[in-house]
Amino acid sequence: MSQPVHAATPVNVDELEVVDGRAYENLEGWIPELANEADLQNALEKAFDYRGDISLTFKNGETVEAYIFNRQSGKSLADSYVQYFASNALEKRKASYAEIARIEFTGKDRAAGKHWEAWLKKYAEKKAAGETNIALHPEALD
Amino acid sequence: MAVPISQMWTVASYILKKRLSGQKKYPLVLMLEPLFRCNLACAGCGKVQYPPHILKKQLSPEECFHAVEECGVPMVSLPGGEPLLHPQIVEIVNGLVERKKYIYLCTNALELKKRLHEFTPSKYLTFSVHLDGQREHHDMSVCREGGYDIAVEGIKEAVKRGFRVTTNATFFDGTDPNSVRSFFDEVMSMGVEGIVLSPGYSYEKAPDQQHFLGRAKTRRLFRAILSNRKKSWKFNMSPLFLEFLMGKRNYECTAWGSPAYNIFGWQKPCYLLQDGYTDTFQELLDTTNWDEYGTASGNPKCANCMVSCGYEPTAVNAGFGSLSGFFAMAKAAIFSSYKDQGALDLLNNHTTFTAERSHLVKIEGVSLTPQVAQLEETRA
Repeated sequence: MSQPVHAATPVNVDELEVVDGRAYENLEGWIPELANEADLQNALEKAFDYRGDISLTFKNGETVEAYIFNRQSGKSLADSYVQYFASNALEKRKASYAEIARIEFTGKDRAAGKHWEAWLKKYAEKKAAGETNIALHPEALD
Repeated sequence: MAVPISQMWTVASYILKKRLSGQKKYPLVLMLEPLFRCNLACAGCGKVQYPPHILKKQLSPEECFHAVEECGVPMVSLPGGEPLLHPQIVEIVNGLVERKKYIYLCTNALELKKRLHEFTPSKYLTFSVHLDGQREHHDMSVCREGGYDIAVEGIKEAVKRGFRVTTNATFFDGTDPNSVRSFFDEVMSMGVEGIVLSPGYSYEKAPDQQHFLGRAKTRRLFRAILSNRKKSWKFNMSPLFLEFLMGKRNYECTAWGSPAYNIFGWQKPCYLLQDGYTDTFQELLDTTNWDEYGTASGNPKCANCMVSCGYEPTAVNAGFGSLSGFFAMAKAAIFSSYKDQGALDLLNNHTTFTAERSHLVKIEGVSLTPQVAQLEETRA
């Protein structure tokens, strides 16, 4: 197994005018079917890319709610691993792909929504209604 | 150029030592992110979208010092999140000053004025205040009315108290070059040491995914902004990097030039892309397949990138790495007016460009003032 290899882009990058962003993939609530090794690898790759917590159930029956911040593919499932912060622990943890039995995208996708267009629409509406000090505020952490 | 001689000397001698020792890959600036949480919720930011338990975490001062010593950089940038929200930020800054590292504390300055008394002016400490253009542009970009005025108050107070202060702007598609030039006048009149700028990067996690500048447009925009330059404008950047932005030079990315360290570890390959983490800096250097990054690699994630964190190290290395590079840098610093009739035409025809771009954002049923309608495209 190896990390994904990037295909050469056919465009001349120096001629690019505007560059499209990435397409949004709605994964919130997804419970991938893990029928084979490829399914597991694919699901963990998406979990690594997901900006929310994932529920990992291990083969020993333990379940953790965690943010997966790293993954490393090795030659087999046993020497491939994910690194994560469990929502109730301070330290980084590591788990082998081979230990994982089930993955659920249970946490809220923090990168979803809050689009620029939505902000502009909200701004224009509030402005038209005579509001002042219009702002988006970070979500409360507690 | 606004960078003090002592800082230039430190960087130049650092590069020379690395070259003489035969080291090919060495960092110049550590992007040390002590935390991700922020007091703004900008629609263009790809850095702060994490679950609450991640946003509550932060690096300890000891972890920060260890990272700095591990990679041995002469300069440290402290972005975030908002570093002034870190309860031990003063301890972190003082520790880095003691280590004689040139620090750029990147802040939105909402907290700056009331926190200034906790810091001591030093040649090693610069407040790099995020200011994305004139008042309305900045407020729209940070999604908060009044943000500009608070930041400017902080800047003025910091300048008054003898701190080194720069402003730091990121420009995206739709940016009005005329407004940017007026903005340069405004910030220089505030007494800042210099201006830092960069084209925006297509953050994969940014809520807005429609307005990332392609390279052709970036070069046109910066040619319009930076040509026919006023003598009063000072830039706290490599003049060769500015020439790169204007399309006068072609550089490849030095992705290891500005490594990033945060609560997850050393970020692969750079501050902007997230392809995993390593536990040590050496592991980052040794295990990252650097050939997979940069425009020459064909990696689509790098296709439009001209961001300072990857290309300014290249420019700095070019400037201090050879005699011809040094003369090119000196020439760019001395003869910096860049008279260019074509660039003036770009400025004069800006409304035409705006009309061409009007398809980028359409909001049904919303009537925006002309100024706001223009701002809808900036998203910086």
